[in-house]
Amino acid sequence: MNFLFTVLRQLGRNLRQTWGVQIMTLLTVTLSLLIFSFFYLVYTNVVNLGDRLSEDIRLIAYLDEEPNLELRKQLERKIIQFDDVEEINFITREQAYDRFKAQLGENATVLDGMPKNFLSPSVEVVPVKTLGHLNRLKDFSSYLSKINGIQKVQSGQEWVEKFNATSQLITIVVIASGALLILTTIFMVAFTIRLTILGRHDELELLKLVGATNSYIRTPFMLEGILHGLLGSSIGLGALYVLFLWIKTHFTTPGFMTMFDFTFLGPWGMAMIILSSIFLCTLGSWATMQRFVKG
Amino acid sequence: MKKRVQRKVEPMIEVIKVTKTYPHDITALHEISLTVNKGEMCFLIGRSGAGKTTLLKLLCNMEQATRGLIEVAGQEMNLLRGRKLSQLRQQMGVAYQDFKLLPERTAAENIAISMEVSYKKPQVIRDRVCSLLDQLGLADKYDTLTGELSHGEQQRVTLARAIANSPSIILGDEPTGNLDAASTERVMRLLSNCNKAGATILIATHDETIFREGSHRVLEIADGRLEGIAAFPTTL
Ligand SMILES: Nc1ncnc2c1ncn2[C@@H]1O[C@H](COP(=O)(O)OP(=O)(O)OP(=O)(O)O)[C@@H](O)[C@H]1O
Ligand SMILES: [Mg+2]
Repeated sequence: MNFLFTVLRQLGRNLRQTWGVQIMTLLTVTLSLLIFSFFYLVYTNVVNLGDRLSEDIRLIAYLDEEPNLELRKQLERKIIQFDDVEEINFITREQAYDRFKAQLGENATVLDGMPKNFLSPSVEVVPVKTLGHLNRLKDFSSYLSKINGIQKVQSGQEWVEKFNATSQLITIVVIASGALLILTTIFMVAFTIRLTILGRHDELELLKLVGATNSYIRTPFMLEGILHGLLGSSIGLGALYVLFLWIKTHFTTPGFMTMFDFTFLGPWGMAMIILSSIFLCTLGSWATMQRFVKG
Repeated sequence: MKKRVQRKVEPMIEVIKVTKTYPHDITALHEISLTVNKGEMCFLIGRSGAGKTTLLKLLCNMEQATRGLIEVAGQEMNLLRGRKLSQLRQQMGVAYQDFKLLPERTAAENIAISMEVSYKKPQVIRDRVCSLLDQLGLADKYDTLTGELSHGEQQRVTLARAIANSPSIILGDEPTGNLDAASTERVMRLLSNCNKAGATILIATHDETIFREGSHRVLEIADGRLEGIAAFPTTL
């Protein structure tokens, strides 16, 4: 109880005496946390999108004519000859028409008066979703296009490749901004604590002389680090949330939304960010204090 | 009477052949040996620059001896670190010659520091501080910043801080250097009360009046050497 009281009073003195620097540090921690968590947010959304996209990966082979049962069996056999697949669906002209109509939604009226059979029948091949199978998708599609009776093959593969390259880039950015966060946080907090120590050097020396233990001297500064970590990360995440809402309302059209469901960080992600930020700030102040109490 | 005899045989401060050399080969103390027993009060005299402050600094571990052995309360000073050192320092009150007060804190806050580090209750601290300020004739300076106090007032605040935590060892470096006779009288009465309560006290001073009338031991340092141990002051 007395310990807590003394420590808190000391913390209050520290904050009062160097509040200018304290605010600067808080801003730096907040800003670097904002930068990091922004990229992290983008990253998690991109990863989600990637998962959803690869769920949608399929090869669509358009056929010259509606296949009869015999031809279907033949095609199935040829497809399985090349690679294991998850699903093979035959789509008739009418099914294709219905799907298209459903996709158009309200605009479906443009189809009025069109014959129901103007779309080609097709085979839909859903590949097995492992990296090995997905990497053979290009060969698969050229194999299919050489089969008699298949007009042309459509695959989202190029798109997926580009997407993968992008998400790798984003991963690198996330790691880089994470490293930046770690460095700035530790250095800024260490810098603040060092300034506080310099500003109160006489007092801290005197405390040592009258028999203050290291924990008596160190605890308020550790608390200061914890405070910076907690406040900095909370404010940073709060700012990120505001940014998130702004982006969501200004940049996402309804059509885009259905494909790209922009979501905020989950509670675990936020807890991890706050905890690591507290950890980093405390580490920064601990390292500085260690040098002081030893010296 | 028996108690006194027992006290005498138990040394509180032991200094054995201690030499202190500052950088640039300045030898402040040269093979000094002395013993202060538990519950004893004694005085350290000597011309300016003789090495009195240096000796006190060695005793409270502000400086390290270059050679020789220093034991305080049975602990070897050169080896003392961390928690052990903190504990000993909480048991040791030092009134520094340069005061080491925090000018932006009030007199009360400055005195309280030595009690806060051993986590005394705020109420206990307040009572003790008030009583000390009262005994030293500074009752109205409770809330005054020490930076705004006169030299003599600062000196008394320093002494109050040294004895506030009721230490078992008190080191005073010229505790009456800037004081008038009445204040000197108050300070000495306070110190001798501490001594009667069992504290071991060593006082460095130029002020003959404070030891002339007592029967306390007086040690004289000259040029970093202990001149002689006079049971009775040479001036008598
Ligand atoms: N930090 C230091 N570095 C170098 N020399 C020092 C240092 N402190 C003291 N000295 C020297 O050591 C010698 C003893 O100094 P000390 O302060 O112990 O004297 P003193 O007896 O306390 O004097 P006074 O009565 O004036 O306070 C002096 O010659 C002084 O110049
Ligand atoms: Mg001196």
